[in-house]
Amino acid sequence: MPTPSNDPATSESPLAIETHGLTKRFGERTALDGIDLRVPRASAFGFLGPNGAGKTTIIRTLLGLTSANSGTMEVLGHPMPLEGAQALQRVGAIVEEPRFHMHLTGRENLRLIAAVRGPEVYDRIDPALARVGLSERAGEKVKSYSMGMRQRLGVARCLLADPLLLILDEPTNGLDPGGIQEFREMIRAMVEQEGRTVFISSHLLDEVERTCDAAAIVDRGKIITQGTIAELAGGGVARHELVLGVDDVERALGTLDVSELVLEAHRSDEGIRVVLAGEPDSAAAVNALLVNAGVGVARLEPVRHSLEQRFQRFLEITARLDEAPVDSPGSSTREEVRS
Amino acid sequence: MTAIALRMTGADFLKLRRKRWLVLLSLFLTLGILVIVYLVTVIQHASNPGAHGPAGGTKNFSDGMRVLALFFGPLAAILIGVEAGTGDASAGVFRDLVVTGRSRLALFATRVPAALALCWTVILAGFALLLIGSIVFASNLPTPSTSLILNGLGFTLLATGVLCVIAVCFASFTTSRPGAIVTLIAWQVVASPLIASISSLGSARKGILSQAIIHFSPVSVEGRRGAQVAMSQGTALLVLIVWLVVFLALGAWRTRTMDA
Repeated sequence: MPTPSNDPATSESPLAIETHGLTKRFGERTALDGIDLRVPRASAFGFLGPNGAGKTTIIRTLLGLTSANSGTMEVLGHPMPLEGAQALQRVGAIVEEPRFHMHLTGRENLRLIAAVRGPEVYDRIDPALARVGLSERAGEKVKSYSMGMRQRLGVARCLLADPLLLILDEPTNGLDPGGIQEFREMIRAMVEQEGRTVFISSHLLDEVERTCDAAAIVDRGKIITQGTIAELAGGGVARHELVLGVDDVERALGTLDVSELVLEAHRSDEGIRVVLAGEPDSAAAVNALLVNAGVGVARLEPVRHSLEQRFQRFLEITARLDEAPVDSPGSSTREEVRS
Repeated sequence: MTAIALRMTGADFLKLRRKRWLVLLSLFLTLGILVIVYLVTVIQHASNPGAHGPAGGTKNFSDGMRVLALFFGPLAAILIGVEAGTGDASAGVFRDLVVTGRSRLALFATRVPAALALCWTVILAGFALLLIGSIVFASNLPTPSTSLILNGLGFTLLATGVLCVIAVCFASFTTSRPGAIVTLIAWQVVASPLIASISSLGSARKGILSQAIIHFSPVSVEGRRGAQVAMSQGTALLVLIVWLVVFLALGAWRTRTMDA
């Protein structure tokens, strides 16, 4: 097991995962196309994309289950696959669905992993089972478990590594709503109370938005964008917007255009759309500004950008980029889409 | 073996011994067949002692040992070896073992002693029954000598152990349980005796695994499993080593390089 000099915990890298130009091809098909990924430590990071986008492939590549064609990657500060053994000592992972020896009990399945990881891991079996609520069923064969129980046993298996990094591939598959909520709380506790990094791949936008601090959006083997959830939902930087309903639109726009509180204001179907220059609490100051200018404010509503809206937009953009002509570099269609 | 290797081997042994169908089928092939043989011969002897001799004695011990070492024992060894070689991959947990960071070669290497442990356990059970039967049912016939018993035991363990190791390696190489079982049994039961009987192949037949194994038999097996090919003890040993080294290399290479 790790000595102080090679224990991943002592690595000074602020990133749990870092890749540069990671490319993986299956024959003619490019599954990963120059992936540059930066996953900060002690955060829940979502890897979001539609089915077939390359989410599982990057997980398998990061874990050394399959090799990359080009590019570099580091896990917990260790170059992979060169120092894979050191890095993976403190990594727990569920790739695709959790699989087990069905003819063995839940506890026996964990004992198999403990035997491979090292003697100190045996002591973690019971706490891990308790953590996922499987203590009472641990003596039953896994073939009698529900999908949700197998998912939880998979998490328990990850916990045997006392992981600094958990990599979970579509972890809420098969969980009922109660199980999803429990799972979400467990992930947040691991990040906030225990300082672990959790990397979650998912095609469920809502799941990532509710669980993760940051995310990357991937489609067809390429990362389209990455950042905090607020940044992604706001379109690159955190944007706070308001919708105003006023009795005098012209006067309101004139007032807002010269105010330092406002970055941008324009008419919209709903009334006036305002992009604030500061934090959301400056909405009250905007209201006061308009009232002092003699504008009656009937409605002031913050606009909440959802990750889903942004995700759909990103997918539309990439689809349009693919369709845009490539023969002229200055093609107006491509420039427009990129902007 | 280091402590970690012992634990890993123990874990692999656990996977095997908890496969109920595997243990039952292996016990049937080693113990069950012998029980049936003894039942039949004991009843025959009891009903007509003039036409049927006692079920025990040296000759019946030798016949039983041949059956155990060269036919039903290898079948059990193949089943156990193939299960050890493909169990993790077919259950989908090989990748979970790989992501522990443990060397893939270590994962492969511990399958071999685990498979041998189960294989030799069921073989020893069969051999013990054979020995007890040959003494208990000997009647007025001579019982096997200590030398024959020890040589027979060594030969039986060698014959089944080599097959078991090759089955682990071949199954690790193919990663297909049915494919490996069918191929190995077909090779062992059909192809090997057939090829060995083609005298025009001459000394090339020395390379056949079963012929090299038969060379170490303490009793004659000529005419039982194809024509026996004459070879020196050194050649037979070399053939066994080459087979083992080649298959160990194939299994290790595949386990190390396959996508998990």
